[in-house]
Amino acid sequence: MTLQTKIRMTAASGDGRRVYPFTAILAQETMKLALLLNAVNPAIGGIVVRGQKGTAKSTAARGLRDLLPSLPDGGRPAFVDFPLGATEDMVIGSIDFEAAVRDGSVRFQPGLLARAHRGVLYIDEVNLLDDHLVDSILGAAESGENVVEREGQSLRHASRFILIGTMNPEEGELRPQLLDRFGLAVSIEGETDPALRVELLKRREAFDTDPDGFIARHRAEEADLAARLAAARRRLAEVTVPAHLTAFIAEICARNHVAGHRADIVMERAARAHAAWDGRSDVTSDDIVAVAPMVLLHRMRAGEPDIPPPPPPPPPEDDDRDDQDDRENPGEDQQDQDDGQDDRSPPPPPEDDAGEDDPSEGEERDGPPPPPPPEPDDADRDDAENAPPDEIQEVGASYAVRKLERQSLDQVLRTGSGRRSRSRSASKQGRYVKSTSRRGRDDLALDATIRAAAPYQKIRRETAKQALAVHISDGDIREKVRERRVGNFLLFVVDGSGSMGAQRRMVETKAAIMSLLLDAYQKRDKVSMVVFRGQEADIVLPPTNSVDRAAKLLADLPVGGRTPLSRGLGAASEVLRQALRRDPSLMPLVIVMTDGRANAGLGHAPPHEEAILAGAVLRERYPSAQFVVVDTEPPGVVRLGLAGKLSAALGAAYFKTEDLRAEDLVSLAKEHQAW
Amino acid sequence: MVTIESSSPHVYPFVAIVGQERLKRSLILNVVNPSLSGVLIRGEKGTAKSTAVRALADLLPEIAVVDGDPFQSDPDDPKTMAPEVKARFAAGETLAVRRRKVRVVELPISATEDRVVGTLDLEHALREGSKKVEPGLLASANRGILYVDEVNLLDDHVVDVLLDSAAMGVNTIEREGISFSHPARFTLVGTMNPEEGDLRPQLLDRFGLCVHVEGLNTPEQRVEVVKRRAAFEADPEAFVEAWAGETEKMRDAVAKAIALCPTVQASDAILLNIAERSLKLGVDGHRSDIVMLKAAKAIAAWAGRNEVILADVEEAAELALAHRMRRRPFEDILGPRAA
Repeated sequence: MTLQTKIRMTAASGDGRRVYPFTAILAQETMKLALLLNAVNPAIGGIVVRGQKGTAKSTAARGLRDLLPSLPDGGRPAFVDFPLGATEDMVIGSIDFEAAVRDGSVRFQPGLLARAHRGVLYIDEVNLLDDHLVDSILGAAESGENVVEREGQSLRHASRFILIGTMNPEEGELRPQLLDRFGLAVSIEGETDPALRVELLKRREAFDTDPDGFIARHRAEEADLAARLAAARRRLAEVTVPAHLTAFIAEICARNHVAGHRADIVMERAARAHAAWDGRSDVTSDDIVAVAPMVLLHRMRAGEPDIPPPPPPPPPEDDDRDDQDDRENPGEDQQDQDDGQDDRSPPPPPEDDAGEDDPSEGEERDGPPPPPPPEPDDADRDDAENAPPDEIQEVGASYAVRKLERQSLDQVLRTGSGRRSRSRSASKQGRYVKSTSRRGRDDLALDATIRAAAPYQKIRRETAKQALAVHISDGDIREKVRERRVGNFLLFVVDGSGSMGAQRRMVETKAAIMSLLLDAYQKRDKVSMVVFRGQEADIVLPPTNSVDRAAKLLADLPVGGRTPLSRGLGAASEVLRQALRRDPSLMPLVIVMTDGRANAGLGHAPPHEEAILAGAVLRERYPSAQFVVVDTEPPGVVRLGLAGKLSAALGAAYFKTEDLRAEDLVSLAKEHQAW
Repeated sequence: MVTIESSSPHVYPFVAIVGQERLKRSLILNVVNPSLSGVLIRGEKGTAKSTAVRALADLLPEIAVVDGDPFQSDPDDPKTMAPEVKARFAAGETLAVRRRKVRVVELPISATEDRVVGTLDLEHALREGSKKVEPGLLASANRGILYVDEVNLLDDHVVDVLLDSAAMGVNTIEREGISFSHPARFTLVGTMNPEEGDLRPQLLDRFGLCVHVEGLNTPEQRVEVVKRRAAFEADPEAFVEAWAGETEKMRDAVAKAIALCPTVQASDAILLNIAERSLKLGVDGHRSDIVMLKAAKAIAAWAGRNEVILADVEEAAELALAHRMRRRPFEDILGPRAA
């Protein structure tokens, strides 16, 4: 047995960890249901479980492993635990260099996406995963196949799996477009009932003391659940959605302003899975109401999903055929847009023989006269439109704050990290994500180099003068591409003068800084803060990773006194100088928040002229820094435009405080690609 | 990699550390009940943090490992064996067993991810043209103690993989042509100076306990520290010898507590008390409950009791809740608005 096969074998045989039984998980019914629905119908498209740490997210996901029905060939479905440090070649698959070097054959070494086929791909902390890996995975999850185009390999293979992601939102969000690609989402919290907590504690302790015994005690229950799951899978192909309920699904999605048709499709699939899980062949409105929140949670802007009352059951008589047709067509359109591979009937679970069930389902749909549509509930709809959206307002406010920094800063940071990784001074630190043939950093990616050399080994060995195990030529050399999410540096230069206290300007300024700090926390940036007021400028917070401290300082920040703007900029210069000396590759983002009304200075020139001069010096001295000026001058009075002048001197992006309203800043930030 | 095995002659004895009772206690509790999953030590520099952690290994009973296995597999538990050893075991091979002290593996701040999780053995790849895993620090730390000084300064992606492994008890390598996983159960001991930035809550939560240490503040104690340190440096061997009796006593006590711990019982009233403490403080999730119970049991076992009493929970709560109290970043500031 070669080492290669040994590694393959052992990896497949699992790591022998004892898994806490799914059936022993207390409460968290929504999460369990959502996981099971995906197991019943993998075409739902996966699930993302959002919740605080320590809420059995991972336990439940891993517990699902033992419940899945065996494959047609008798094997157990794969359960691939996706490690955060995976490199791209291992995810997608690549050339097997061992085979190539040994016998000169080009063999494809399947990656994680191949291994997960017909099983589960589980990503813990999915929000911490590198974006491009998430993209590859979601791409495969959606299309059901993995396309490999690398190292002279060009092939595609089936890759259908149940995708399960878990995440703790406080560590950073997934991009909305990625979130949308997960079929279902559930949000969970810890239990608040003491008795329940006690029971949970007892079970965990029992499992920890004697895992094998604990697992044995739950074996019967697990077997029952697995049997029910297998039965539901078999039944799934028979489950149909009555036409009036297809319209109900469309109405729910429309009412919750969900973009695109994915929600409609997923909801239909989930509802069918729910009916199958319940042992029925007809979807009822209860099925839809049960799954709707899971479908909508991550696709809505904010707030609770608005589920209208289900339509009344159709009368037995068929009296309105035309209307029926009108209703049905949109539904079909929606399905047609779904990737084409399974437009008529939602796809069966991977190992089922789909072809045979399809016609029967089609007949059933066309055969009996479809029930008439429900009466449109006009009164209800009007209510929804006329009601003042105060609920959205309220939640929207706090949501908007979070969105603000994400979108605007994302742009900044992305440019930043991109530029840094291209630079020659880039260090060898960071996560090795993939390889490149671009040279220059002396950071050899040996695996990729050998892979590149592999196809030529046979020829080179025959012609070589020396007997080497591996013959590598210059053109094979690959270097590592590394990604590092740390290293950004936010310097806040905050005007704490008396004029900032007027009209609650400081309240808004603080809110804006806080939003940026939250983002800095999630991106793990360093932050620093300079405050100028009275006659002084203080570095109240030297560069630190402790965004928390910055936030606390900010909360206690007083307002009052004169505006020594040039001193503030001087202090900023000092911070920048030190920070850049420590790490020259740093790309600081300096955010100056002031009304620009400098009225105290160093005495070299009139205060505001001095400030503008200082701004020009800063710009010249720190070319790697980017500046943003937020003008806090109240809109009511005559604008002096002093902050605008400072902004010009700094070469900064310029915002007014009233632009800090979330949506506006988002759009502004998009315009400011140069940021 | 720095691996400190107890066989190395001159480790400053644990029992000779002056003061720092909470620090010593939290470490011992982790030894008594390794499933406590570690301790985070917050405090200034020069407070005997590292000394205590390094000395800890000396108090631990020996463990049996499969000889020559870089993953320290337990010869008696096939379920937790590394894949290669497990295959040998399944093939009926008699595994060579070696008894040795539990290891303290130190993870340096500059550690790169491949050194932590393991990577492709470069030499082997070039010589033989085939793949072999070069085990990383997580392999060495399996069934031992992983010590991270200044854990808050660790590179972020290294923290992520550490968190991943600590949570799963398994280290999975999917990189550089290698696909491999092996058990990685370790007691995570971290130190940090909070002035230099905090840890993310997610990682904080992975540490079972958290203690705050401060420098000693009575002159007598400080003098004693200097005296002992000087004595140790002048003649380490004699110093260790002089404390051998105390060390032996401590070792016995540890062994007894380890034996007693699994039999310790907690009444329903105690469990309810634990749950209510978590609820009262609004701690995230359920890990706090689990840790409090484990800690309380370890405290009871250390005191020679086989029944948890309220005072044990009291102490356990102090150690287990402080670092879990914050619900969200900046909640104390954003709280009213978020609610």
